[in-house]
This record gives sequence, structure tokens and C-alpha cells, in this order.
Amino acid sequence: MPAGSQPAFSMRRSLFRKNLVTALLLAPAAVWLVVFLVLPFVAIAIFSVGERAPEGGYQAALTLAQYANLPARATAFWNTMVLAPAGALACLLVAYPVAYYLALRAPQRWRLILLALIVIPFWTSLLMRTYAWMYILGGRGIPALLAYVGIEDLRLINTPGAVLLGIVYGYLPLMILPIYVSLERLDRRLLEASADLGATPLSTFLSVTLRLSLPGVMTGFSLVMILLLGEYLIPTLLGGGKVFFIGNALVDLFLQSRNWPFGSAIAITLVLVSVVVLIVANRISTRLSGARRVDLI
Amino acid sequence: MRAFVVAVFAFLYLPIALVVLFSFNAGHHASEFTGFSAQWYGKALSNPFLVEALKNSLFIATTSALLAAFCGTAAALGLQRVGTRTRALFDALLGAAIVVPGVVIGISTLVALVQLFAVVNPFLASLWPTDQPPRLSLGYGSIIAAHGLFSMALVTMIVGTRLSSLDRNLVEASSDLYATPLTTFRSIVLPQIMPAIIAGFLLAFTFSFDDFIIAFFVAGAQTTLPIYVFASIRRGVTPEINAIATIVLCASVLLVLLAQWQLGRRKPSP
Amino acid sequence: MPKSYRDGLPITPDKFIDQLMRLKRGSISRRDFLGLTGLGVATAVMARELGIMPTPAYAAENLGDRMSIATWPNYHDPQTFENFKAETGVAVEVNVFGSNEEMLAKLQAGGSGWSLFVPTNYTISTYKKLGIIEPLDMAKLTNFDGKSEDARFTAEGTIDGTIYAVPKNWGTTGFAVNTKKLAKPMSSWKEFWDTAMAEADGRTMVHDYQLTTIGNALKYYGYSFNSLKQDELAKAEELLLKVKPHLFAVSSDYQPAMRAGDAWMTMCWTNDGAQLHRDIPEIAYVLGKEGGEIWTDFYAIPKDAPNKPAGYALLNYLMNPKVAVKEHLANGAPSTDARVNALLPKEVLDNPILYPAADLLKPLEFGAAATLTDPGRAELMARFKSA
Repeated sequence: MPAGSQPAFSMRRSLFRKNLVTALLLAPAAVWLVVFLVLPFVAIAIFSVGERAPEGGYQAALTLAQYANLPARATAFWNTMVLAPAGALACLLVAYPVAYYLALRAPQRWRLILLALIVIPFWTSLLMRTYAWMYILGGRGIPALLAYVGIEDLRLINTPGAVLLGIVYGYLPLMILPIYVSLERLDRRLLEASADLGATPLSTFLSVTLRLSLPGVMTGFSLVMILLLGEYLIPTLLGGGKVFFIGNALVDLFLQSRNWPFGSAIAITLVLVSVVVLIVANRISTRLSGARRVDLI
Repeated sequence: MRAFVVAVFAFLYLPIALVVLFSFNAGHHASEFTGFSAQWYGKALSNPFLVEALKNSLFIATTSALLAAFCGTAAALGLQRVGTRTRALFDALLGAAIVVPGVVIGISTLVALVQLFAVVNPFLASLWPTDQPPRLSLGYGSIIAAHGLFSMALVTMIVGTRLSSLDRNLVEASSDLYATPLTTFRSIVLPQIMPAIIAGFLLAFTFSFDDFIIAFFVAGAQTTLPIYVFASIRRGVTPEINAIATIVLCASVLLVLLAQWQLGRRKPSP
Repeated sequence: MPKSYRDGLPITPDKFIDQLMRLKRGSISRRDFLGLTGLGVATAVMARELGIMPTPAYAAENLGDRMSIATWPNYHDPQTFENFKAETGVAVEVNVFGSNEEMLAKLQAGGSGWSLFVPTNYTISTYKKLGIIEPLDMAKLTNFDGKSEDARFTAEGTIDGTIYAVPKNWGTTGFAVNTKKLAKPMSSWKEFWDTAMAEADGRTMVHDYQLTTIGNALKYYGYSFNSLKQDELAKAEELLLKVKPHLFAVSSDYQPAMRAGDAWMTMCWTNDGAQLHRDIPEIAYVLGKEGGEIWTDFYAIPKDAPNKPAGYALLNYLMNPKVAVKEHLANGAPSTDARVNALLPKEVLDNPILYPAADLLKPLEFGAAATLTDPGRAELMARFKSA
């Protein structure tokens, strides 16, 4: 064996070992992603060009009929496309002052406790909390209280308002946290400088605070938006099967009408819509805040 | 502004207060308060279905979060060592795992697994020597995998962000001092990314523990706590459910306090 | 011949049960199922069953310690399951569904986990065709007596001479009205739908169930409850879409909303009508004079039931007239079993909600099997709900 090839061989070996380690590190995630993300996606893509079997379920075919039928769920898509941004916006309007207070106004020693109080609701099942709202908004809750003061027969539950309230309630912490993080990182000297230069508190807020917290706002907004696009529980419990999101239409197609192909077509469409929404959110946030990308975490 | 913040906190805690209050209801329904009693705590803890649902949820959340933390961290480390094209592919898939709505994950996993089992089970049966071949079916495995998908993507991103802000000089200094890569990893990299891994684990656990819609589709005959609660809402909630929810709440608050106390002990000033 | 668990039981002395329970307490240790996880349902169930020592009372068959039943909202006396547990050690989990379609979907997807369920008459032939229900082993149902059953209601449980399902009770589908809120007398589906868009705006509920919701909309125009004709269904859809914005909810569990006063009028089954009227006298039960549905609910056992022995044991227990009579008093729907009727108090047998006048019964139709799987009706219902 020529002496000169020894280092090359060892280098090749170490390169091989390096690649092996890399492959081993990536393999579990890769397998997971392929088996539980790519494969299911391929499966519903195949199903979406199939037909409903006579007794329900799936029957192999090659047709675009399911996609052609999408307008039959136009209202559900429309509800989702209206109520998801509306919900995210309402969430933002409630969350921003809270995050602002926590990050910039609350006394230092209270800050952690208050933050913990924001997170703790996450630890009680969202279902239970939403059920509590069913009670509060239902006939024995607020309407019963109002009946005492003479306001009779008020109906709160099963209205779009109730769904919106449930959305704000459920997703508020998810909106507060990213905004809090971006406000907390804010360099306070900027605020002082702005005030020193004679800016009013309002213009300081608009030109410094709000501007610099935009990445947090966009993160929270897109996070809530994306989750809302697939929402099922809140409309089910607080909307009484009347306020239908696309997620509800989807579940309905699998659990009641047993039309798997059409459900698959809707699922694919929903994924595409989600991706588009995220890309648009990214664009907007990039334009608003220079070069910052929206991270979902 | 203070008043507004106080109002928001009241809004956040009103339903929780109700959940806790009704757990002490003497009556049979979670909709009419008829007097104080702690009987439902005993009933809840002796209801085999409720206890099993709680155990299942704890087991599934722990396992999927552990797997996600492990595989996610490994993937984040691996992604540091690959070319841009592989990286972009992984990033796209991980992003998709986070963005695809839970309801779609649940349904597509169900569809894929049902088809897969339809092929694999007869195959296993034909190979198996005895009359009782193993049968793959929906259950713990499918819930853990479906929950873990989202969690793993989350961990990979959190740890990845942390890794990219890691001090390169330390790593290089370590290898200059002839530390093996493993030693460098153990003594330099791991301590720095540990907070990110823990954060990822906790997020993953919380997500899995509270998830309804994915489990609803892929659980098969298994019940998780959210599935049990959903079924109870349909058949009429008894204060048992409130009792379990209260126990879970108290346990998690205790854990948070414990964690705070531990952190406070380790480093006096944050 | 397999022995029923009841064969070993003396004539229910409380002492015996106490002793049995003490014995069981020793034998059923809380096994940690978590150790067996990841291997799927079958293993878990097998291990669960293997872990229990057979007790003398039902040595012939191992019932396990839990099972699950799929049924309808407000359909059973909770005490029945408590008693069953005290007698056999099997805890029963009750899953509630709002439509036969939902039950079918769950069974078709596999892994429902039920060991007993309650399908309606017209669905049984489809379940049999799809091969997802068991032909019943009548030797295990010693409490069932085919001769005492009212043949008008029970025929659909038997297919080609094989019994696939045994009847629970029959009933009708009408509507319930809170007469304090809606004072005007109503007697037809036409009035139901018209009132829903007027006085009962925002206070009316319809079933989350294609058969009755579409069927009773068809009745508005006098068409058959079971119609599959495209033009007739189109008319029904038009009506449903017109009514949709005025509804309070689309749900088959209307008792909570009716009791809380959120809803004033709802599509309603006999049993719910009887329960509501019993507790809140101002809630009346009305049958549409145009007709509507008459039905029988059955018990059946899924092919993939994880705990068939317990499924049979519970079914046999429910077929005991002494047990069934309590079920009927709680549930409110009329029994198909003459032995049960003999035990019911007179005021129940005279209740017009349970036993409507002959002229009201006459136009009623049993659901037709084709409606269960018809894609047109399924999609119509889905469109209505998502509108």
C-alpha cells in the first residue's frame, strides 16, 4: 500500500463517518415526516380524485368531480375566511394592551407571576373551559341574570358572537406571548430618546413601540390565524352546528356523510389555503418590519 | 390600562373558576349548582374510564413529547451538517408539519393508516405460523406518532434557532483542545441548547395533553382525556369531569411553582 | 352450550353480591396498562381479559372489567349500568351519538371499541350487508323471548332467518313545544317549519340527522318521509336552507337547551318528549298530522367488539323484563315486549305521548334502508349544515 494514500483514506473514512452521523441524526425525523406527513398527504391526494363508495367511504376512480364540487362548501370556506381573521384581529386587540402592560408597565416582581397566570389556563383542558362558556352564555347563565333586571329572552349561545368570544378566549395566550417577547426585547433607551426629542407619547408609541413590536404581532397573528383555519371545537360547542367552519364541514364529511373523497379534496384545499395565508403573512411582515421573517415560534 | 388588564385576567379565569366551583357541586349535573360536596372527587377517581383516559393522556403526552424532543434535537443537530438543498427540503417538511391544520393531520393519518393496515394485516397473517397473528390497529401508537409529528417539528425549530445563535468560537476552541466531538457536544453544545430542548418538551407535552381533534380521528378504541370530556359533553357532563379538570389544574400549577422554585434556587438572579 | 353468567347466580340476595364484590376486589388489582402500550387495542384488551381471575359466579365466560356501548342521548337509566356493574364487575362506558350515520361511520372506520350498540330498524340490513355486525348467539340471550315481542316492530332485526339485532323499544318522531313560549296550538310539520321562521325564530332545533331532518322537511310538501326523488329532495333542501338562519341549533341532543329555555321548539323523539313533559309539563309533544317517522331501536353487537362476552352479558341483562321495565320508566319510549308492558304502571300505558291515537299513527312511515346510504341525502344534509 503506497504510503501517500494513508491520509486520503483516513480522510475519506472520517468523511464517511461524518456523513453517517449526519444521516443517523436525521433519520428518525425523516422517517417520521415521510410516514406521518408525506404518506398521509399522498393518501388524501389519491382519495381526492376518487369516488364515494355506494355505502360511503372511498372507491378508486380518477375524477376531478370532488374538486368541482368545492363550491358546495362555499359558505363554510367563507365563514372561515371571515371569522379566522376577525378572530385573530379581535384577539390581537385584546392581547396587545395586556402584552404592553406586562412588558413595559408591570412592576418587575409581578411580571413573572402575571406571565404564569397567562399560561396556566393552557393547563386546563380547552374543552372544559369552552364548556364553561356554554354554561355562561346558555339560558342558565348570563340570560338568566339579565332576566332579573328585566331583559328577557336574550340569546347568546349559538351565535357568531359566541364563537368569536370563544376564539378570543381560547387563543388569547398564544397572541399575548409573542407580542410580550418582542416588546420585552425593546430597547427602552429608544423610548427615552423619542421622548427627549419631543415626540408625544402617542407618536412615540406609533413610531417606536408599535413598529418594533410588529414581528411579535405578526407571529401571534399568523399563529392564531393558521390554527383558526382548521378550528373545529369552538364552532361545534359555541356555534351549535350553526356557525360552520371548514374544519366542521371536513369532520362532517368523514363522520356523517362518509364521503371520504370529497373530504379529502376539501382537506387538500384547506392545506393549500393555509400555505397561501402563511406566505402572504410572511410577505406583509417582511415589508412592515424590514427583513424579519415570521417565525411560528 | 390597568383596569383593562384586570378585566382580561377576569375574563381568562371566570370559566376556570366555574369549572372548579362545579367540581364541588352536590348535584348530579354540571349545569345546576345545588350545594357543596367533595363527593365527585371520589367518584372521578373511582371511575375506571375517566382514570384510564387520564392515564392514557399522560402516557401519550409524555411519550410523544420525549420522542419529539429526542428526534427533534437530533434533526436540528443533523441539519447543521447538511447542504442547503437538504436543509431546504427538511425546512419545508417541518414547516408543513406545523402549518397543516390538526383536523387535516387527523383525517389524513386515519385514511393512510386504515389503508396501510388493510394491506399489512393480511400479509402478517399469511406469514404468521399460528392462528393469532399480530394485528396492527389504531391506538396508542397512532396517537403518539400523530401528536409527535407536530411536536418534533416544533422542537427542531426551537433547538435549531438556539443552535444557530450558539457561540462557534467555543466549539472550535474545544476541538482545538483535542476534545472529541462527543465531549465537545456534551460539555459545550448540550448545556447551551438544553433550555430550548426543555421548552420544546414542555410545549410538546402541553399540546399533546390538550389535543382533541387529532386523537379523535386516530385513537381507535383508545380514549384520551379530551376525547372523554368531549363524549361527556354530549351525554351530559357530571361534576366528575370538573373534578378531574381541577386536579389536573392544581397539579400543573404545583409543577409550575416547583419549577420556578428550582430555577430560583439554581441561579438566584434571573 | 355456553353457560350464562346468570346461571350461577342465586336469586339476587344482596349478601351474595357483597361477597362477590369482596372477592373481586382482591382479584382485580389495578394493573398498569401503560406497560403494555404501543401494541394496539387488541393486545391491551387481551391483556385486560387475561389479567382477571374468573370468579365462580361466571366462570364459564370471562367478562373483563369494562365495556363500552354506543347509544342515543338520554336513552338509559344510569342506574341500570350501576346495577350491572355491581352484579358482574363490568363497568359500562356510554357513548352517545346523534344519528345512525355517525354510528355507521365509526364502525366503517374500524376500531369503534363498542361491545354493544343501538341501531335503528332500517340500518340493520346495511350493517349485515357490510358484515360489521354479529349474528346473535341466542343461547347467550336466555332472557330474550321472541314470542313476547310485538312483531309489528321487530321484523327488521331478523334477516333470512338469522337474528342480528333484538329490539329495545319503539317510538315516533314528532316535535316538542314549550307552550309557555309558543302558545298557539300546532299539529303539523307545516306549522313546525313555518313557526320556526316566525314566532320561534332563533329558538328552534332540528336533528343533526339526515333521516328525520330531511324527512320532516319533505313532509312540509306532503312527500314521502323516505323520498329519494331528486325534485322532491330539491324542494326539501330549499325549505331547509330557508329555515337555517332562523334555527337555534342543529343537534340531536336538544334536552339541555329545551330545559334551560334556550330552545322553545325542537324535532323530538318519543322518549325525549316523554321525559321533557314529565319534568316540565308545559313542554308538549306533537306528531305532525302529515306523518313522519315511526321507528324501533335495536341492540346489536359489532363484529369487531373488543369484549363480546360482556356485550352479550349486558344485552341479556337488559332483556330481563324486570330490568327493562326500569329502563322504560327512565327512557320513556314504549316497549316492544309484552312481558315489560305487563309490569308497566297504567298511567304509562295510557300516556298519549307514548301511544298516540290510531289516526296519528297511521300515516307514519318506518325509515327505508336506502336512505341510510343514499349519497344524495347525505350530501344534502351536509350542505344544509354547512350553509
